[in-house]
Amino acid sequence: MDDQTSSFVKDLTMTEQDKALIERLQNGDNSALTLLYDNYSNALYGVIIRICKDEHLAKNILQDTFVTIWKKIDTYDNQKGRFYTWAFQIARNKSLNAIRKSKKLIQTEDLSVYKDKSNNQSNLAEDLNLKGHINSLDAHHKQAIEYVYFNGLTHREAHEEMGVPLGTFKSYVRQALKQLRESYLKIASYVLVLMECLG
Amino acid sequence: MIEKDYIIEKNLIERYVLGELNASEIDQVERALEHYSELTVNFELIEADLEKLGRENAIDAPAEIKSELLKLISSQEEASPDIVEVSKLKNYFWVAASIAALLLIGNIYFYSEKQSILENLETVEQEKLELNEKFNLINDSLNLINSRYALIGNPKTEKFILNGNQIKPDATIIAYVNTTQKKVLVDTQNLPKLDSEHDYQMWADVDGEMIDMGVLKINEELVTMTYINNAESLNVTIEPAGGNDHPTVANLISNVYLDSTP
Repeated sequence: MDDQTSSFVKDLTMTEQDKALIERLQNGDNSALTLLYDNYSNALYGVIIRICKDEHLAKNILQDTFVTIWKKIDTYDNQKGRFYTWAFQIARNKSLNAIRKSKKLIQTEDLSVYKDKSNNQSNLAEDLNLKGHINSLDAHHKQAIEYVYFNGLTHREAHEEMGVPLGTFKSYVRQALKQLRESYLKIASYVLVLMECLG
Repeated sequence: MIEKDYIIEKNLIERYVLGELNASEIDQVERALEHYSELTVNFELIEADLEKLGRENAIDAPAEIKSELLKLISSQEEASPDIVEVSKLKNYFWVAASIAALLLIGNIYFYSEKQSILENLETVEQEKLELNEKFNLINDSLNLINSRYALIGNPKTEKFILNGNQIKPDATIIAYVNTTQKKVLVDTQNLPKLDSEHDYQMWADVDGEMIDMGVLKINEELVTMTYINNAESLNVTIEPAGGNDHPTVANLISNVYLDSTP
């Protein structure tokens, strides 16, 4: 893949507009947070709710994630990576911390309190089914991506969950991403051709 | 520097993007990204994959989260001036404390200065008293000397020389007698020193009787002696230390007749 294509793929999502919004927020313009929220909240909410599988908890975590983004925006450096990656890591960590606390509560409190919640979770599970290109992957590749990108598992936790050696799991992730990328590139090439024709 | 193949094999870039690495691994990956452009391209692709997956699987967040978030942020923004106020108060406290400390130090300094000045003042007062005493003494002495010299310079004062006999041939006493003022002064600067057990004593002869005029202090310019009315002569004897009730005639060293005595 050449750099031009790589750059195209990157710019497809990380627009100059977002960069400007981040700079405005870094300069103390809070109105930029509203626009960043509009651009990123749904993607982050999708990650959060798939990790914690609890709508009420997910709402609090999303709000908390954006409060942290607002407070820590000065520490974000766009030379080190995308804003989405940075925000994703905040959301993922907060979600994992929240479910760890919930697990402790479940161990120490009356389990009956959480029965209804389990029922809700099964209803919610249908909404949490993964969408898009990930569904075109082989089942084990899809599972590997789902574990690490959407369930908040580490590589080490996920390979145990799948019952395959760590090395095998790592190659699953690499192969899955490669396949996804190829399917994305087909779209990217189509968009490029379309733009050429329109131009 | 970690090898490129090691980073790829261990999925370190994927795990870096996910935020799974510890601080040391993050540092190693970031250095490798600066060094290997191929890894940088791979990193950017993985970031793009993550974001695309996220966007494809986005779930609409409930609308109330946004309004609650904005409310929370505006309330925290309003709260921040209070924090500034607290920090300002803290600053004021330190300023006030500093001023108080300076005032305290100043007071201590001025108090010690005041004490020192008071002590100095006392010393000055004491010195002044001492000087006054000395002045009075000197003044008294001056008055005495003046009065003595006035007496010597007085035309009614007569001067008599008492030369020593064979017992004390080196002795010379000068006597100034003023019968008007009834005063007698003697100059004893030329009287030889005696041993510690003897003194010179002066006597007035009145009708054949020797009357004590006092013990002579030697080496004095002018010594006032007791004036005796109707004295016919002045006589000096050597007597036991402190003087004698009656003169020891054998120890007479000098005498002079007062011719003009009325």
